Amino acid sequence: MEFILEGFRKALHIILSGNPEVLSIARLSLIVSLAATAGAVLAGVPLGSWIAVKKFPLKKLLIALVNTGMGLPPVVAGLVVMLFLARSGPLGFLSWLYTPKGMIMAQLIIALPIITALSISAMQNVDPKFYNQILALGASDRQAIWVCLKEIRLTVVAAVIAGFGRLVAEVGAVMIVGGNIRYQTRMLTTATVMETQMGNFDMAIAIGLVLLTLGFAVNLALTIIQQNKVLTR
Amino acid sequence: MIKLSGLRVAFDSGFKLEVESLKVREGEVLAIIGPNGAGKTTLLNAMGMLNEPSAGTLEIMGRDALAAANKLSLRRAMSAVFSQPYLTNDTVFNNVALPLKLRGLSDGAAVGEVLELFRIAHLKERNAKTLSQGESNRTALARAFVTRPKLLLLDEPFGALDERVKESITRDLRRVIKSSGAAVVLVTQDQEGALTLADTLAVLVNGRIAQQGEPQEIFSRPASREVADFVGVETILPGRVSANNENLCSVEACGRTLMAVSSCQAGDSVFFCLRPEDISVSLSADAGGRRNNFKAKVVSVAPWGLEYKVELDCGFAAQAAVTKQLVDGLSLKPGAEVYASFKAVAAHLIKRNL
Repeated sequence: MEFILEGFRKALHIILSGNPEVLSIARLSLIVSLAATAGAVLAGVPLGSWIAVKKFPLKKLLIALVNTGMGLPPVVAGLVVMLFLARSGPLGFLSWLYTPKGMIMAQLIIALPIITALSISAMQNVDPKFYNQILALGASDRQAIWVCLKEIRLTVVAAVIAGFGRLVAEVGAVMIVGGNIRYQTRMLTTATVMETQMGNFDMAIAIGLVLLTLGFAVNLALTIIQQNKVLTR
Repeated sequence: MIKLSGLRVAFDSGFKLEVESLKVREGEVLAIIGPNGAGKTTLLNAMGMLNEPSAGTLEIMGRDALAAANKLSLRRAMSAVFSQPYLTNDTVFNNVALPLKLRGLSDGAAVGEVLELFRIAHLKERNAKTLSQGESNRTALARAFVTRPKLLLLDEPFGALDERVKESITRDLRRVIKSSGAAVVLVTQDQEGALTLADTLAVLVNGRIAQQGEPQEIFSRPASREVADFVGVETILPGRVSANNENLCSVEACGRTLMAVSSCQAGDSVFFCLRPEDISVSLSADAGGRRNNFKAKVVSVAPWGLEYKVELDCGFAAQAAVTKQLVDGLSLKPGAEVYASFKAVAAHLIKRNL
């Protein structure tokens, strides 16, 4: 019991003293997970909306596949990305293995099905008559989707929050693709694993606390965006 | 403005809309009326290019509206108001400005003008989701008119309104339609609303147009039993024309001889149709020149809007509309003996195929 309290005391000291290594790890974590989330939103929201709105054969099968992708184990995503980025792999020429770019790529693949699937269901919840009304007012399909997305902003931002939450907490993919290299690809999650294994509980706790704080700060920002203009009952 | 022929729209549920031919002229207000599930909305959605007909041709403003390449530009020349206002979570002003924005335009003056036309200028900063039903409907109408459409599709635009609000909005809508010169297709179950706004009516029954023409014609001379039923003809008796004397027909129905003005020939099987407001009820046997006069027994008396509906047994069942004063004055109640009379010219014969 004593060592836990001691760990917390030292952890607070590390944080409050502004340990430069912890700060740089936190910065990298934030950049990688935010970039991957942003990429997944830019691709997944339009893709999901399009899948929801259009009629095409095997639509249900595609939606089932995307839904399955929501449960994609990060280690599997990491493994696949690593194999692609390996020197002899198809994307080896990029030299992205063990770089933040490679980690962003791996995390993007994890977040994409989550944000796509949640966008599909959010869009399918829009009354088709509402969609028709917007078309009848002179909208192209793309404009109508955009108007609908603004209407279901609450749900879309919830999808973004879910995606970011998954990424910032994820350790397997960044470990495999990034390699947890100090000052280069060490993330808050991989650092926590490493410090814990090395018995540096104070450092592990400190990094864990930073991770939680970061997650809260980003979610707070997203929630403020989400709840803007929400009508109260 | 609109020309369609052989149009078919089929649904998985098995429902089929089949319209052989329908035309809407420039500046014409056409009301499509018909019972629930007749396909009115499906027909309107087809005109709005919002569903995929499986056969037929549809021409809007002289262009093929079934060609994918024409749809967006045609939709931008028209507009629509549906049974629910479907407003966005934004201010009234921005809702009304949306169609302009979709066309890459921004015209505050045009928005201000339609807000005035529909008397909602004072609401422009309000969030549209906080409006009352009537205000929402007015916003949806203003939004539809802001682009000065040449063609307007209205689908039960004031379904859920109380009578007073409905009347006031209908009046404003009529004024705006007349001054804009837009062609309008109005889908409605509200026959009074249809009569207030429409130049012509089309009655849709079971996915087919059963009759099309001037409102007065359809209400007094329905072409089929279904149309008669729908437009409020309550007394419909199967019978047979026994003689035609210079278009004054004698019809044998339910063991009685009734007189009707019609071009039907002796021997024709017909439905003898009578609207409730065309039957007079009195205590005296004097029919006042009406050719049909029957001794009748009151079966029931029930309120019907501001009047009463009196069910009569004249040897055949007949429904008469009677004012409250008359119900009181004649003390009409079940069992009372009265006389029911109606003019031959008020009756209408529909040929029936046996």
